[in-house]
Amino acid sequence: MKQDFKILGTRPIRPDGLDKVTGKAMFGSDKSVTGMLHARILRSPHAHAEIVSIDTSKAEALAGVKAVITGDDFADVENRWARYTMQNCMAQGRALYDGHAVAAVAAISKTVAAEALKLIEVEYKILPHVTDVDEAMAPGAPVLHEGVKARKLGDDVSGNTVGYYSFGHGDIEAGFANAELVIDRTFKTAAVHQGYIEPHGCLADLGGDGRGELWCSTQGHYMVREVCSEILGIDSSQLRVTASEIGGGFGGKTTVFIEPVALKLSQKAGKPVKLVMSREEVFRASGPTMSASMDIKIGMTKAGKITGAHAKLRYQGGAFPYQMVMMGAMSAFAAYDLEHVQAEGWDVMTNRPKMISYRAPGAPMAVYAVESVMDELCQKLELDPIDTRLMNAAREGTKSSYGPTFKAIGLVEALEAAKAHPHYSAPLAPNTGRGVSCGFWFNFGGQVSVSMAINADGTVNLIEGNPDIGGSRASISMMAAEALGIEYDRIRTIVGDTASVGFSDVTDGSRVTFAVGIATINAANAAIKEMCKRAAKIWEIDAEAVEWVDGAAQPSGHNAGNFPPMSLAEIAATSGKTGGPIAGHHEGAPDKAGVSFGVHMVDVEVDPETGFTSIKRYTAFQDVGKAIHPAYVEGQIQGGAVQGIGWALNEEYIYGEDGLLQNPGFLDYRIPVASDLPMIDAVIIEVPNPGHPYGVRGCGETAIVPPLAAVSNGVAQAIGVRMFELPMSPPKILKAL
Amino acid sequence: MARVVIFGSLRAFTNGEGEMEIDAQTTRELLRKLATLHPALAETIEAGVSLAIDGEVFKEAWFTPISAESEVVVMPLMVGG
Amino acid sequence: MRYVVAKDSREAVALLNTGENARLLAGGTDVLVQMKLGNKAPSLLVDIKAIIGFSDISAENGGFRIGAAVSGAEMGEHAGLKAMWPGVVEAVELIGSTQVQGRATMVGNLCNGSPAADAVPAMLAAGAVARIEGPSGTRDMQVADLLEGPGKTKLGKAELISSVYLPARPERSGDAYLRFIPRTEMDIAVASAGVNLVLDENGCVLEATVALGAVAPTAVMVPNAGAALVGSPLEEQALEACAAACEAACNPIDDKRGTVEFRTKIAGVMATRAAKIAYTRAGGQL
Ligand SMILES: Cc1cc2nc3c(=O)[nH]c(=O)nc-3n(C[C@H](O)[C@H](O)[C@H](O)COP(=O)(O)OP(=O)(O)OC[C@H]3O[C@@H](n4cnc5c(N)ncnc54)[C@H](O)[C@@H]3O)c2cc1C
Repeated sequence: MKQDFKILGTRPIRPDGLDKVTGKAMFGSDKSVTGMLHARILRSPHAHAEIVSIDTSKAEALAGVKAVITGDDFADVENRWARYTMQNCMAQGRALYDGHAVAAVAAISKTVAAEALKLIEVEYKILPHVTDVDEAMAPGAPVLHEGVKARKLGDDVSGNTVGYYSFGHGDIEAGFANAELVIDRTFKTAAVHQGYIEPHGCLADLGGDGRGELWCSTQGHYMVREVCSEILGIDSSQLRVTASEIGGGFGGKTTVFIEPVALKLSQKAGKPVKLVMSREEVFRASGPTMSASMDIKIGMTKAGKITGAHAKLRYQGGAFPYQMVMMGAMSAFAAYDLEHVQAEGWDVMTNRPKMISYRAPGAPMAVYAVESVMDELCQKLELDPIDTRLMNAAREGTKSSYGPTFKAIGLVEALEAAKAHPHYSAPLAPNTGRGVSCGFWFNFGGQVSVSMAINADGTVNLIEGNPDIGGSRASISMMAAEALGIEYDRIRTIVGDTASVGFSDVTDGSRVTFAVGIATINAANAAIKEMCKRAAKIWEIDAEAVEWVDGAAQPSGHNAGNFPPMSLAEIAATSGKTGGPIAGHHEGAPDKAGVSFGVHMVDVEVDPETGFTSIKRYTAFQDVGKAIHPAYVEGQIQGGAVQGIGWALNEEYIYGEDGLLQNPGFLDYRIPVASDLPMIDAVIIEVPNPGHPYGVRGCGETAIVPPLAAVSNGVAQAIGVRMFELPMSPPKILKAL
Repeated sequence: MARVVIFGSLRAFTNGEGEMEIDAQTTRELLRKLATLHPALAETIEAGVSLAIDGEVFKEAWFTPISAESEVVVMPLMVGG
Repeated sequence: MRYVVAKDSREAVALLNTGENARLLAGGTDVLVQMKLGNKAPSLLVDIKAIIGFSDISAENGGFRIGAAVSGAEMGEHAGLKAMWPGVVEAVELIGSTQVQGRATMVGNLCNGSPAADAVPAMLAAGAVARIEGPSGTRDMQVADLLEGPGKTKLGKAELISSVYLPARPERSGDAYLRFIPRTEMDIAVASAGVNLVLDENGCVLEATVALGAVAPTAVMVPNAGAALVGSPLEEQALEACAAACEAACNPIDDKRGTVEFRTKIAGVMATRAAKIAYTRAGGQL
C-alpha cells in the first residue's frame, strides 16, 4: 500500500466552499423556471384513518389552480418496496400517520395553492392507532398492513412485526453460567430526526412526451430516477435527475418524499412544478430514525472478561414494512471478542412516519444499551472502563458477533489512544462525571462511476455520480491529484446528472470517499496508461517502456531511451495531434470497505437543582484508515458526536394519546445549539484498510454511535443514578434525583 | 469445499443448520447451490444478501472468487445512512 | 393585506380604530412568524418604528423611558440603563439570537402576551409602568395590571403602548432575571424569575419584589416570596422560604416543555438564584 503521499493528508479549501458562504450555491428550493407552478400538499390530521372520500372539485375550480392529485392518480406498481414508497408519498385508501399526504395542488402561486388546500374536502373514518413499539408489537394491536408479518414468527407478536433477525454464536446460557456478575436491563430510546437544515425541495418538469427533468435535494439522484420512473411508469432514460447542492442529509435523503408528487402534478398540469416542504412537513412526513425498546444482558467475571451477552432489540420504524433492526443487532456487540453471544431484533410498524436511515442506522441505540450495561458492570466490579474494554476488544482475527472474522481493525489502537490521552486522567469537578463508550459501523462499497477528462491546458475535469454531503469533491480531487501526480487545484470535480455519467449508488454507508476514490484512482490509471502511450509514440519507443512518475511520463530505464520526462501538461497540449482527447473512466462495485471503530470520552456536569446536563469536555477517537482531508474527517467526527449528544439529551418525537406529533419544529424538537457544546476534540487514528489502495475506510457514521452511552455513562457517574431512557431531558433527570 | 455460515434467524429456513460445506468457485454459484439445498432460503437470496468472504463483506457481487478454504457468512443485505 | 408606516401615534391609533383586522408591527419577530405559520392573517399591518420618539431611550426623573420601537440590542448597548436596571436588560437580551435582538422590542414581548415572555417578569419586578395611547388620550398603567392571559393583554382594541418607564432607584438596589431552558439559547422559558431588591446599610433586604414567568397563564408577582426575603441577609432559610412561596404561587400547565412538577420546582430554584445575583448587584456580600 502506498504510504508517502504528497497531497493526501493536507487541508486544501473545498471547491464548493466559496459558493456556499456567499449564498451562490443552488439548493433544492433555489431553482426556478419561467411559467413554473407552486405545489402544496394536504396532510392527514389523524394518526390512522380510512379515507372515505376526497372531493377536490372546489379546489380545482379556484382561479389559478392548475392541477390537483390524490392517491387515485397513481397507478399500482409491481415492486412492493416501490409501492410502499409511493404510498408514503401519497396515501391510497388510508392515512397511516399524522402528516401523511392525502392530496396535492399545483397553482400559479404559493398563496393560491395554500387557499386551494383549504377547499379540498376529505371525509375520514378514524381507525385505532398505535405509536409505541412495545404496544404495536403486542398481540391485539391495530395492524398497519395485513400479510406482511415476518415469516415463521408466532402468535406472541402482532402482525406489525415485519422483521426478525438473530446473530451470534456459542451458547449464551453457558456463557451466563460462567459469569460472576450478570446485569440485565431494559432501555428505551426516542425517535429522532436527522435535523438537516435544508428541507426537501424539488423542481419537476414532466412533459406529455414522457420526457422529464427533475432537480432535487437528494443523497442519490440515480435512486430518485429509478424510484420515480418506476412509480410514474416511464423509462429511466427519459427522466434526467440533477442533484442540487445539499443542505444536509445524514441518511434522511436516501429516499423520496415529494419528487413523485411534483412529477405527477407537472404531468397533469403540463408545466414545471416546484415543491418545497416546510419544516413542519419535514418533521411530520419525512423519515426520522427508529425508536427502540431493548433488553440487554451481559455476564462478566470479576476480572472483567465478558462471558456471555444477549440483546433483544425492538425497533419501531413507522407506517410501512422496513428492514433496519438487523443493523442494530449486527452492531450491538461488534466491539467485543465474545465466545457466547446472541443479538436478536424485531422490526415493528406503527402509526408514525416511515423511518429512513440516519447515520449508522440502527446502531446508535443498540450500542447505547450495550455500552450502558458495560459501564454498570465496570462500576459494580470496580474495574477501569477502558481496561475492561481493552480486555474484551475485537481485533484482527476476532470472529465478530455478526459472523465475519475481522481483518485489520483499529479498536485497540483507539482505546489505547483514549487511555493515554490527558483527558482521561484530568481531575473531575463536583457534580461532574466522565463517560466512555465504543462505537462501530460497517461502512460500504457499492456501485460507482467516474469519468475523467484531461484537458489540453493540463487541467482535469472529473465527473462522478455521488452527491457531495461531506466534502467529497475535495477528497476526490485530492485522490485524483495524488494518482495523476499533479496539483490539487488543476482538478475540478463535479457531481454529474443522471444523463452525464454512469449509475452510482446512493451517497450512504460512508461509502463515497472509499468507493468513488477507488474508481477515481482507476480512472486516473486509465488516463495515465493512455498518456504513457502518447509519450511512447512521440519518443517512438514501446508503450511498455514508459512509466509514470511524479506527474510525467518517462522512459522506464536506460535501455528504453534517453528522453527527459514529459509532463501531463505537455502530453495534453499535443493530444489533438497524437490521437485525440485523453480521458479515463471507471465503473465498478468495489467491496472491502473496512469497518471502523471509535471511542468517545465525555465529561458532563449535571445541575442537581434543575437536572440540566452540560457537556464540559469531549474527545473522540476514531480509526478512519487514512484521512484524505483531515479537516473534513474531523468535521465528520465532530458532527456525529454533536448529533449523538442531541439524541442523548433532548431530541425526541413526542406523540400524544391522540397519536399526533406535538413538536414538529426546531423550537420543541431540540437539536443542540452551538453554545451547548465545547469544541469537540477529534483524534484521528489511521489503521489502513487493506481493501483500498490508499487505506481509506469510511468515516462518516461511526461517530454518531458512541455519544449516547458516553453521555449517559457520564451522567450516571455525575448523579450516582443510572438513566435507562433517552433523551435524558432535565425533567427526567430531576425526577431521578 | 467452502465453509458456509448462515446467520441466526436465517437458520429457520435451513432446518436449523448453521454451517454447511458447499463446493463453489464464485458467490453466484454458491448462492444458487444454497437455494437448491434449502428452497425456503430462495426468497431471501432473491431479495438480496450480503456475503462475508474471509472477513470481507461483499454486496451482491456474483463473480467474487471463493476458494476451497474460504469461510463465507451469509447475511442480510445492508444499507447505510 | 395593507402595510402602513405610521408617522405618529395618533395616526397609528386611528388606523387601529378603522374596524379592519389591524396589527401593530414593532420588530415583527412574533407577528411575522405567526403570519407565516398561518396563525394570524391581519388585513392591515401598522408599522410603528418610524414614529418620532419611539426609538429613544431617555432619562426621566432619575429613571429611564424606553420607546416602544427600541430593540433589544439598543437596550444592551445603553450603559446607563444597563447600570441601573441590569436585570431588565439581561431579560430583554435573552430574547432570541443576535439577529432577533436587532429587531425584537421589549414592548412587543409584553404585548404578544406569552406567559413565557422573558422581559415581563423582570419588568414586573422592576415596577415598570407602560404609557398607553388610545382614542381617548394618554394614560399610564403598571405593566402588572396589563396582563390578562395567553395571547391577551388588557389593552383596548385601538390602544398601543408608546413607551415603558423604569423608575429611579434608591442606593443599594439591584435586580436580576433568570430563566430555565433545556438548552443554552434559542428556547422558551420553562420557568423564570425576576427579582428586584433594595438593601439596608447592614446588607439586609429592605424591599423585595419577585415575579415568575411560564408557571401560570400570565407572568405573576409573588408577594410572599418577596416578603420571605425582607429583613434577611439572604441566608439559606430565607431563600428556602422564598422558594416555597414561589412553588405555592405556581399554576403551570403540563406540556411537552415541562411537567407541572418540574416547572414548579424550577421556579423556586430560578427565584433563589436570581435573588442571590440581585443581592450581589445591590452591593450585598453573600
Ligand atoms: C427566533 C426567535 C427566538 C425568540 N426567542 C425568544 C425568547 O428567547 N424569549 C422571548 O420572550 N421571546 C422570544 N421570541 C419572541 C419575540 O422575539 C419576542 O416576543 C419579541 O420581544 C417581540 O418583539 P417584536 O418587537 O418583534 O414584536 P412584534 O412581533 O412586532 O409584535 C408582537 C405583538 O405585540 C403587538 N405590539 C407590538 N408593539 C406594540 C405596541 N407598541 N403596542 C401594542 N401592541 C404592540 C403586535 O401587534 C404583536 O401582536 C423569539 C422569536 C423568534 C423569532
